[in-house]
Amino acid sequence: MAVDSTAEGAAAAPASHASDTEGVPADAASQSSSGQADPRADSIVGAADDDIVREIEHDDFDPVGTLVLVLIYMSILIGMWVFMYFIEFLGRGLTVVG
Amino acid sequence: MATTRSDRAFVDKFPHEAAIVKATFLVAFVALGIGAFFGLIQALHRTNVLRVIESADYYTMLTGHGVLLAIVFTIFFLCGVFHWAVARSLNRPAESRLFSWAWVGLMTTGTVLTTVAILGGLVPNLGMSADVLFTFYAPLQAHPLFYIGLAMFIVGTWLAGADWFLSYRAWRANNSGERIPLQTFMVLTTMIMWYVSTIGVAVSVVFFLIPWSLGLIESVNPLLTRTLFWYFGHPIVYFWLMPAYLMWYTVLPKLAGGRLFSDPLARVVFLLFLLLSTPVGIHHQYLDPGIAEGFKFIAMTNTMFLLLPSLLTAFTVVASMEHGARQRGGKGYVRWLGALPWRDPAFTGMALAGAMFAAGGFSGMINAGMNINYLIHNTLWVPGHFHLTVGTAVALTMMAGSYWLVPQVTGTKLYSRPIGLLQVIMWFVGMVFMSNAMHRAGLAGIPRRTAEPQYQNFEFLTPIGSIFELRVQIALGGTLLFLSVVLFLFNILLTSLGDESDRPVDAALPEPLSGPEGSPRILDNLAMWTGIAALLVILAYTLPLAGIIQNGGGLFGGGLPVPATLSAGLDFVVVTVSSAFNTLLGVIA
Repeated sequence: MAVDSTAEGAAAAPASHASDTEGVPADAASQSSSGQADPRADSIVGAADDDIVREIEHDDFDPVGTLVLVLIYMSILIGMWVFMYFIEFLGRGLTVVG
Repeated sequence: MATTRSDRAFVDKFPHEAAIVKATFLVAFVALGIGAFFGLIQALHRTNVLRVIESADYYTMLTGHGVLLAIVFTIFFLCGVFHWAVARSLNRPAESRLFSWAWVGLMTTGTVLTTVAILGGLVPNLGMSADVLFTFYAPLQAHPLFYIGLAMFIVGTWLAGADWFLSYRAWRANNSGERIPLQTFMVLTTMIMWYVSTIGVAVSVVFFLIPWSLGLIESVNPLLTRTLFWYFGHPIVYFWLMPAYLMWYTVLPKLAGGRLFSDPLARVVFLLFLLLSTPVGIHHQYLDPGIAEGFKFIAMTNTMFLLLPSLLTAFTVVASMEHGARQRGGKGYVRWLGALPWRDPAFTGMALAGAMFAAGGFSGMINAGMNINYLIHNTLWVPGHFHLTVGTAVALTMMAGSYWLVPQVTGTKLYSRPIGLLQVIMWFVGMVFMSNAMHRAGLAGIPRRTAEPQYQNFEFLTPIGSIFELRVQIALGGTLLFLSVVLFLFNILLTSLGDESDRPVDAALPEPLSGPEGSPRILDNLAMWTGIAALLVILAYTLPLAGIIQNGGGLFGGGLPVPATLSAGLDFVVVTVSSAFNTLLGVIA
């Protein structure tokens, strides 16, 4: 049985995708990941893994979408910084401190 | 094969711990309801849309809003989350039921005393008030009950931390050589940070504010109590944030249908917060003349380093969500976002909270810069900022997390997912209105902590839009936020009253894509990290505190405040050390 690495015995956990520490039998965990949706799953909070269509392991996952979002964030940051430089500093008179 | 509920639900496996979590959540949600109502009154009052209270009472409302939401709601909720997380991840109940109830009882009693002291300000002729705002440093003075209640509350949190350390110690006795389970690691590092940081507020309250409010001492050194408050006042920000991070790292990937990208990276992030949260408090005091510019510069440098763990978190959490979206069939550079489970209120609430936190990062960087801070210091910009961080990143994550956690401790299904979804979206929209308007109003120079920011013969000017439009946005946003809280409390109340379910929630948590097994074991050396954290605090605070005590007329004030310089602080230390050295030589001779 796979064991959650957030719990005791993490190091020994094989790479099965879903389980927990509270004694869920392996077949129950695999049922929820196999795409055989529980008929009530849509009304249950946290049942997103009922809709998994393919399992992606560590080496197969390349977070390019995350890179795109990070670049968008950084471009907003730089754009606002440039905007602030022009508006708040060049747009006002000199400030003498001391 | 279906499993019975007793195989799955937290409430069945750990009934006593579930009862503790329910008790802490109950206090948290009552505080949320009252605090949000006060917030509505404030939003309508200061925008002059509706004034149902005297302006003098505004500050009572403001104090109640700040204390009940920023201290009571957040900390009671996080105590529940941490109690759940420790029992779940160590897979063992707490060591002593009586001890657990003792800290819940102490924190609750302290909360009641403090709240009574605050609300006493609304009753004429009672002679009791505590209109000192959430930032309760001198020279504003509260009724002693306010400080005594706060002290009890803080001691209660210390005992709660001890409860979790005792659980860890008992687990470690049977699991030597194992890596600390991630959730417990997060709880323990957060609590060490809390122990280090609450020393400041404990000294301030016990040695200065309580004796002063009781009339035992005539005066205090205001800058000292202020600095001790901010010594605690910035790390408390991370005390609020860490339970949200705990949920983003360990629960949100599951809610997205994926797995945490990296367990070791999560550990590094929590260690960085342990090290850097406390030696930065002076960045709240950039305009205090009694602290030398050089010390402020050190605080600014530390603060900029604090951006690192938050940016690491942005990457890890978004990558974990993307993993879920890809597993659910998501494609493309951006289109994968559409494959996320947006109909699940727990997921959507946390994801929107994360998006708001990213925006809060923009204004946080402005606050952190010494020179840029001068543009917005003490303006409405600052409440605009922290309503994005604690008011959304933390509060919305806690509410969204409740939709997944509460069913685990009650054994009942969430009453309504659609209402939950409406609620989290309403919070997001309300905060977009209110917070952006607050930021812009701050840029126009409108002050914070003011009942009537309308002045005769003076008009604030905005480069875009109008002041009227900003006021309407703040009033509208505040109203939507209050309605959102009403929906949340309604949904949670009916959930707790519902029938027990075989499968109240999908509670399984997947393992990370990259586990802790390959990471350096030194990450788990809590004693060493505690030592480094304490050393950084000593380096950052010794000289400023020495200067404040010397220039401010001693520990209890009385002298004339003078602007401080680095050399004054250094002189004080040199004189103190050399006189101690001379004394020592005299004794030896």
